[in-house]
Amino acid sequence: MTVRAKLSRAPVLAWAALALAGAMLASAAVSSVSKTKPDRWWQPDEGRVFPAQLEYSDPTGTLRLLLDHGPMSTKGHPFFSALGPNGRACVTCHQPADAMSLAVADVQREWARKGAADPLFAALDGSNCPSLPQQARASHSLLIDHGLIRIARAWPPRDLAGKVIKPDFSIAVVRDPTGCNTNAKWGLTSADPQISVYRRPRPVANFKFIEAMGFAYDPKAGMPLGLDPETGKPVSGNLMADARVPSLSAQMRDAAATHLAFLKQLSKDDIARVLDFERRLYVAQQSDATGGALDADGAKGGPRNLQISPPGRLGSEGTPVWSEFEAWAKMPAAARAKLPPALVAFRDSVARGARLFRTKTFLISDAAGINSPIGFGNPVRNSCVFCHNMSFMGMDVAPGQVDLGTTNRPFADPMPWLPLFRVTCLGAPHPHYGKVILTHDPGYALTTGRCADVGRITLQTMRGLAARAPYFSNGSAKDLRGVVDFYDRRFHIGYSEQEKSDLVNLMRAL
Amino acid sequence: MKAATLALAALATGSAQTPRDPIAFVACPIYRDTDAGAKSGCWLADDPATGIRYDVSASPTKPDWNHAILVEGQRGESNANPCGGVAMAPVRVAVLKAPCTRFMLEAEGYPGRRFGLPPRNVRPLYEERARPDRPFQPKTFAIPFDFDRHFVIYQLSDYYLDATINYALDVAPARITVTGYAQTDPIEVSGQALAEPASLARARAELVVKALEMRGVPSDAITLATGAPGESADPAFDGLHGPSMRRVEIRIAPQPAR
Repeated sequence: MTVRAKLSRAPVLAWAALALAGAMLASAAVSSVSKTKPDRWWQPDEGRVFPAQLEYSDPTGTLRLLLDHGPMSTKGHPFFSALGPNGRACVTCHQPADAMSLAVADVQREWARKGAADPLFAALDGSNCPSLPQQARASHSLLIDHGLIRIARAWPPRDLAGKVIKPDFSIAVVRDPTGCNTNAKWGLTSADPQISVYRRPRPVANFKFIEAMGFAYDPKAGMPLGLDPETGKPVSGNLMADARVPSLSAQMRDAAATHLAFLKQLSKDDIARVLDFERRLYVAQQSDATGGALDADGAKGGPRNLQISPPGRLGSEGTPVWSEFEAWAKMPAAARAKLPPALVAFRDSVARGARLFRTKTFLISDAAGINSPIGFGNPVRNSCVFCHNMSFMGMDVAPGQVDLGTTNRPFADPMPWLPLFRVTCLGAPHPHYGKVILTHDPGYALTTGRCADVGRITLQTMRGLAARAPYFSNGSAKDLRGVVDFYDRRFHIGYSEQEKSDLVNLMRAL
Repeated sequence: MKAATLALAALATGSAQTPRDPIAFVACPIYRDTDAGAKSGCWLADDPATGIRYDVSASPTKPDWNHAILVEGQRGESNANPCGGVAMAPVRVAVLKAPCTRFMLEAEGYPGRRFGLPPRNVRPLYEERARPDRPFQPKTFAIPFDFDRHFVIYQLSDYYLDATINYALDVAPARITVTGYAQTDPIEVSGQALAEPASLARARAELVVKALEMRGVPSDAITLATGAPGESADPAFDGLHGPSMRRVEIRIAPQPAR
């Protein structure tokens, strides 16, 4: 509980006593209640008002959140309330200052301030394994150092009706640095077999785009979009790293039961209120420390453009992806001359980065979801927008489960802190890895039970990136340069230093 | 069967082919890394019987350089050679299980082809689409499949599947018969006897039924069947006999509203 929350509940007599004592501490505390800006970290049950517009500084500029029809009181709101016994709320891992995700810098700040007492570090998934001593920093190293939350997936997988799926692969633990996958209670051979993987929380905003269905089909599956069993209606398929739930409602129930340890079912009213909040919220970088306002001089950066733009559109047939910054490339020389050189240089870099993103092609090979099973060919020459094709958001208009190699060996960077699994395909071999795959996270395969899906991860949104390092589902890229470097290595792109810098500047402007 | 036999006869005698002669062979694909933008790389394959290098890039399904491919098609009518091979059009490629050593050629001065959206592409949901005129007529749709697969081919089969589903939804109520076909009679291509299992006919039909149901076509309106092996003259196959044997046909007969 924060100082502010404690004080707000303190009886009047206590205030009087404090005043009489004349303690400087009390004076400082009162000041913090009435005058100081609220802390960037949102604790559950604070009861703040979520304004229509909210801004936070991040390492390269300012992040802005816009709430349609805001402001909104969060007092008693289920997104902001600790629903279960572990003291967590949704907001604990989806912080407004972190683009509704979780920046590792803020995790480290919370550990320094409160240690294991902060509900963020709840044993079930805010530690490397619930079996570990919870007061020790080492027991929370994956969260503190890499921003990773433990996700326990049932093994074998279950379908949406809870029926066991017979997987076409077996899985064994090769390395278990957290001890959780071999633990007698929490591991793969326990009475309730689980596979613990460690993933970054995804941003809870811009859902107009995440839920959008541009087409009726998922070409990667060769079938119509999947159906939500609750409504019988199609869903975008772009939720969660492993697409284990089809809808936001189901995601909420899943998260409440696991991350919040909420043993009851969320009420319909609670679900409706969370949905309402999440669907009204937009987030994007608004200004850059070097480049200034990202919606200045004809550019259309920032979240306002997200509020007013249609979702689910292919950039190749409408608004080209990241053409928001094209105006900067076309500024007349006279107008440029009036601006600081560093600002102009940054804007030029962002505009170049946007064009590179669309036009610099490279050979994509052996990536399931791209090179198989769909017939694009293996290899296929294309650019970043091949997959990041949705205007304004950079997601995949088709459901985007792709194996970039971020979790599978040999493509994944060395990550000795993560578990390593050996997947053995029991039927047909994996189209690109063969019969045996070494993986840190089987990803989509933990949902489908198919060995061909090992390492496939749902593409993420690309807005508010500067506020939510590290990147990729397993946090393997500690910064945006790390993202570019990974792609450069994985696909032998051969980016120049200038190109890398341009792509980093583009991403920090999103 | 007849088409494949004719093709083999033509190849065996080494007779000069006209553009419309059928061509069929099995080969390891070669990727030529031309760069005229996205999806501009070339796919080549050498017919082992004639030694002719063909450009098979126009196939809706592109090769996988780790696997052999079955090529079926015709020489294109254009003499343009942007890839370093005799361009085939129409052409179909099926990726086979047999492994190949991957091989890539540099562009070597060939420009490749700038990608253009194929005419058979599924349109987005946000676009208005034309509805059928009344009175609704019975129609039959055909959905192609690659050899030995029951995966809906991107920018070919999905186009016909979408057209089928849209028609079924637009004219409802309707009786819908989904009939799967497989090429169970072996054809000899490049010295290999290629045939599909009979079970594939049903698997293909079941896939299409599932797709219809997922888009909202009532299950009780659909009848599933399998058909005797045979060819189809449906435009979906561009006149290619071999590929036409691997298909699903959907007959949609509008019914009077109750």
